[in-house]
Amino acid sequence: MNQAKILNLVAKLKHTNNIKPRKLKNYRGPEGRIAMLQKSLTALLKYERIELNFNRADETRAYAEIFMSQIAKQGSQNQKSIDMANFWILENQIIYKLFNVLVPRFSNDVSYTNLYHHPNVYPGILRPKAILELKNNSFPKVSSSIKNQSSVENILLKESHKRHFIDVITQ
Amino acid sequence: MTTLLKVLYGFNPLKSFLTPKPDFLEITCRSKHRILPKPKKRFPPWLIKSTRSTRYEDELTSENKTFLKQLVQEKYPRPESGYGSYSPLNLNIVESAVEWSPSYQRAGLIARKIGVYPMWMKDGRKVLTTLFQVADNHVIKYQPPETYKPMITKRKTSLPPSKGSLIIGADSADPQLFTKEYCGLFEESGVMPKRLLARFHVSPEAALQPGTPLLASHFKVGQYVDIRGKTINRGFQGVMKRWGFHGMPASHGVTKTHRRPGNIGSGGKKARVMPGTKMPGHMGNRYRVLKAQRIVRINTKYNVLWVLGSASPGECNSCVQIFDTVLPLKNCNYLKQTPYFPTYYPGRDEELPEELMVDDLHNFNDPTIMFTEDEE
Amino acid sequence: MAMSVRVRLGSQFRNIMRVCFHENRHMSTAEIVVEKSENPKEPERISLEEQQRLNDIAKNERMEKLLNMRFAYQEFLPDPNPKNRNTLKERLERRDMLARRSNVEIPEFYVGSLVAVMHSDPHAPGKNNRFMGICIQKIGAGLRASFILRNFIDGEGVEINFDMYDPTIQRIDVIRLEKRLDEELFYLRDAPPEYSTFPVDMEPEYQPEGSAVPVNEIKVPLKPLPWLVKWERMGMKGIRDVTSMLTEKRLRMSKLKQFNKPWEKYDLLKMYSETIPIEDQVEIFSEIQEKLHELEQHRYKMKRSRNFVKPTKMG
Repeated sequence: MNQAKILNLVAKLKHTNNIKPRKLKNYRGPEGRIAMLQKSLTALLKYERIELNFNRADETRAYAEIFMSQIAKQGSQNQKSIDMANFWILENQIIYKLFNVLVPRFSNDVSYTNLYHHPNVYPGILRPKAILELKNNSFPKVSSSIKNQSSVENILLKESHKRHFIDVITQ
Repeated sequence: MTTLLKVLYGFNPLKSFLTPKPDFLEITCRSKHRILPKPKKRFPPWLIKSTRSTRYEDELTSENKTFLKQLVQEKYPRPESGYGSYSPLNLNIVESAVEWSPSYQRAGLIARKIGVYPMWMKDGRKVLTTLFQVADNHVIKYQPPETYKPMITKRKTSLPPSKGSLIIGADSADPQLFTKEYCGLFEESGVMPKRLLARFHVSPEAALQPGTPLLASHFKVGQYVDIRGKTINRGFQGVMKRWGFHGMPASHGVTKTHRRPGNIGSGGKKARVMPGTKMPGHMGNRYRVLKAQRIVRINTKYNVLWVLGSASPGECNSCVQIFDTVLPLKNCNYLKQTPYFPTYYPGRDEELPEELMVDDLHNFNDPTIMFTEDEE
Repeated sequence: MAMSVRVRLGSQFRNIMRVCFHENRHMSTAEIVVEKSENPKEPERISLEEQQRLNDIAKNERMEKLLNMRFAYQEFLPDPNPKNRNTLKERLERRDMLARRSNVEIPEFYVGSLVAVMHSDPHAPGKNNRFMGICIQKIGAGLRASFILRNFIDGEGVEINFDMYDPTIQRIDVIRLEKRLDEELFYLRDAPPEYSTFPVDMEPEYQPEGSAVPVNEIKVPLKPLPWLVKWERMGMKGIRDVTSMLTEKRLRMSKLKQFNKPWEKYDLLKMYSETIPIEDQVEIFSEIQEKLHELEQHRYKMKRSRNFVKPTKMG
């Protein structure tokens, strides 16, 4: 019989609905899995954009989202959030950066990270790759969000929209 | 002379009895006695490909996207409250006036299994009920018995088929998700393209006009139904999980054979494994029918059926087909019920309350159950 | 005759006390709107930012009040497994639960509280049965919610598993409202009988208005080995000196190092998959809050009208 636990309160993840922890195969078992995630989470907060295997990147993303939202909710003075930061972040400077730079930067945001698929180089290891980054970083954008206005589909749809509008008025 | 002798020898009636016969065991046809046919991996090639790739969707500008959405809304407007969620386009539903007779076969419904929770009977007994949501069902197409040619590999009788086919769709979705060919299937009925389609055999008297909505009140409370669905896919499983074998002891000198089947065939003359032996293999992901399940409660507002028992095939949020039971001692004729025929029409038939319940089920709005002592 | 009158009066007094007690308990959990008298002064001009800040504070307070309902009404939270979730089913289930709650009062109680349940039983003499004991487990979501009561009766440990929304339950009385250090108290099975023995005819205890639920910090000693469960592995707070009772060999056998998982409390995704997110909880509790409040008000009125009946003359 499953019942929700009530001691902790967590905000809803924005980037996905259905989440299931991955195994992330490791010879040290679950402890090693957590160690892997500790490393990549620290790197994410340090460099703000990292390149990883897709599985690991997606898993790190979920952890980073929950981690950031918990710390933003509890505040930097809370003992719980200090414990959490000490466990997950392996370098002391990054803890300082988290409380003084990152938390104020994301004070109004609902989600904190972006994930992009990364093309593979052939021939090489054909494992799917991904780019994981913190939002509002200082690097140039990974993909352009500007839509191609002059593509055939867009021009045709625009014209038909105009005609539809005229038809409605004349009727 | 030799030919004559040969002929005579050939005609010898005792020959077959006299000649020594080798021991011969008849090998049964494997395909006849196969308990579980292998699950099909290939998609049937005669079906139309339904889903469209949405690879280039992101390249449309936001204005064009809203224009497309607007077009869809104009074509499939929101309906009146009485019928499902989406109504057919400018279609006057013709209500059939044939009266029900026990030999007629009605249409079924497509429903989504949304969960299991307990309810209590009036005698204080706790029962588990499964909830089925009848999600937006419409009749898509009807084929009369004359034109209906199902794919039959072995026809046993030379009589023409007496049942027509009724195609029913459920779960309306945005037409942009589907291919042009798939959307063409819904032109006749004028309904929004459906995610799910199912075929039911019906007698010609129970045929329905394309575009007719089917509601949960198609069935009555207390009626027995059959539920057909795809069982949970469990993958390759061992003999203990798949067939419920007991395995072997954990200790007492047993090594390496705790969950194994043990012996699977005999030696001697047979010297082989008999067909149909229960062995490890793929478990689940097959269509199964659970027969004669009792409907105990119906919600007409949300179109939900409460069915007694928790053993219906499929996992939560998967789809099943529900139809009148085929068992002779549980059907409407035997129980002396008259079902809505060919289906429930909100205008023609009596108006129903929001909640319908069988008599022996406890309603949560009722006061606490109290038992009284019998006076002897 | 005098005796009977005294008994009636005593029971009436108890009823009145129970009403007061329940009323106070509801005050602690539910929102009761108190209308403030209007000030004759002119309202002071507040800047937009100030107003927004005040609004935010009020919103946060309301949110906190809603989220605090999760302790008393835990069974309204659905199964967190995303495979089993369906919004329509949850809504129908909640409606059924509220319908049942309108017919019987299901009070607030926790694991460790002393609870008495009166329920109809077709096999009992008089067709009714009353069982009183300590709640050792509260589990289940929705209509599946259930709790286990444990007591020693005639030198025999008895446990009964009750369904919370079972329509045969006539009334649930909280004799003593308190919490223990753990979420389930199955170790009482391995403890000496005096720790789970309670007199059946105990009087309900009352607490001052608006007080927090007290935590009983008792530590229970266990009987000597063998036990039903390897308690040394479980890390229970309510057991006194587990490791001191074990021999060296048993300590080695129980592999404490292997079963100790210090990283588990930091595993964020595990925590997420075991809980219902804040947004969903707010949606659920804001849906049921009004109805529950209405029920409390109605029950309070009914009780008052029931209790102040003049005692009729006897004999």
